[in-house]
Amino acid sequence: MIDDILHIFFPREYTLENGKVVKEKFNWTPYITIAIILFSVFCAVFTKVDIPRLFQRSKAFWALIEEMIPPNWGFWRDMQKPMIDTIVMSVLGTVVGCLIALPMSFYLSSNFKLNKVYLAGHKGLLSLLRTLPTLVYAQLLSIVIGTGTLAGTISITIFTYTICVKMMYEQIETVDMGPYEALESTGASRVKCMMKAIYPQVRGFFWSTVLYCFETNVRSAAILGYVGAGGIGVQINEQLTWRRYGNTGLMVLVLVITVVIIETISRELRKKLVQG
Amino acid sequence: MMTEKHLTIESQLEKFPSVLPKFIIGLVSFVVFYILTTITISFKGINEKGILIAIAAFKGLFNPSMSVITDLGKYGLLQMLFETLAIAFLGTIIGLVFAIPLAFLSSRNICPRWINTICLTLISIIRAFPAFMLGIMFVKSIGPGAFAGVLSMAIGSIGMLSKLIIEVIEDLNPGIAEALDAAGCSTFEKIRYGLIPQLSSNIISIVLYRLDINVKNATILGIVQAGGIGAQLMFAINARRWSDTGAMLLGIIFMTIVLEYFSTRIRTRLAGQKD
Repeated sequence: MIDDILHIFFPREYTLENGKVVKEKFNWTPYITIAIILFSVFCAVFTKVDIPRLFQRSKAFWALIEEMIPPNWGFWRDMQKPMIDTIVMSVLGTVVGCLIALPMSFYLSSNFKLNKVYLAGHKGLLSLLRTLPTLVYAQLLSIVIGTGTLAGTISITIFTYTICVKMMYEQIETVDMGPYEALESTGASRVKCMMKAIYPQVRGFFWSTVLYCFETNVRSAAILGYVGAGGIGVQINEQLTWRRYGNTGLMVLVLVITVVIIETISRELRKKLVQG
Repeated sequence: MMTEKHLTIESQLEKFPSVLPKFIIGLVSFVVFYILTTITISFKGINEKGILIAIAAFKGLFNPSMSVITDLGKYGLLQMLFETLAIAFLGTIIGLVFAIPLAFLSSRNICPRWINTICLTLISIIRAFPAFMLGIMFVKSIGPGAFAGVLSMAIGSIGMLSKLIIEVIEDLNPGIAEALDAAGCSTFEKIRYGLIPQLSSNIISIVLYRLDINVKNATILGIVQAGGIGAQLMFAINARRWSDTGAMLLGIIFMTIVLEYFSTRIRTRLAGQKD
């Protein structure tokens, strides 16, 4: 029994009749598994995970949901405007960000042999910017240019730009350069070559990236209000502080329905894009 | 001769689709856009104070305060970053523990149709819930702290994890299990040698992908008092302590980039192993 357990960690050695020693292949998996379990336990201690408290307080959690459940339909009139704001903010941010990203991604992809130093700098900056969540930009911007939807829209634009440009230039780096060279040999300008030879190859991918960005942006735009950058988040924050859970329930319901509708539409559109 | 006559430049140019419809679509969308902008976005103009703040912020971001970085206490950078990482890691692991059985129950090749439907509905309900709403609800019911963050991360990751794992399970090759059956293997041996090797590399890469997302989400969970670096970051920005903000932002950037680097490396290695 103990031998079997030890065998998991220390590979056996067999001596054959002719004196040769055969070793079993060393396997890292058990060590990694134990390391992950130990790290999880350490994390659990660090974050003060407390299972009994979870069960004690779970009643409060369900009570909260129960209070939300008959949503206060009368609140719809007050939340229309922020909800539309949220959607418009994400639409504007997505469209502007992607429109800037499209030409830039041609410029940044390595198969056009443009200035290497600039490219490395720009890509490095982008990967730095990409690590910060939209909310941080919104918070910074709402202090600099004042709270409101503009700060939210700009932060969504920045985030969309960083994501879209990366996905696009990676895609453009894989396209077939034959048509581009053919057009270049006819004497067409570089911009014309890109538009007529490269863009048709990445068109479908570009639109599906736009849809993907839009989906993520609707989700993040809903939170932006929390730091005063416009949208439904402002209302959620207020109603929760005032403990009006019926209103919050309605907002969550509308938000969930909107997200589901947008996801369904974009999934269908993307299927069409992939096909043709 | 006839065919050559058709190939003049003019005739080819006529064949080229007209740009007019595209132009009209562009114009209409521009007008719609303009209206959308005017109804939602109010720009009051940048006042001088805003410019001054921006300059101060920019200076602060490049002069991270060393006291925050070197502080090893509860509000030091290292502990806050580790707490963020711990929330994301633990959330992902707990989410995975729930996601794997859910995924098996909702894969078409393992379970009957009606169980699939129930589980898929459950998954899509969980998926639609915004993670920060869960955070707020857990903070309200369990009390503020990292534990609430862990719980909301865990529930938030179940949806996506199980959705991606379902795809892996539905791609399983049934031939391998049959071959092991034919060789006279027990159920345990079938799982160990037929199922796990097929699934593990895919599941690990999905989990790493989700861990990346969760670390990013965990940095913002702080604003609802659910632990992590977010709360202190927001306080620092609101109080305009720009050099502290700079230190924390640098910390977040550093942590995310290091994690991304390792997870990409592991994922490419796993992808290579499969072929």
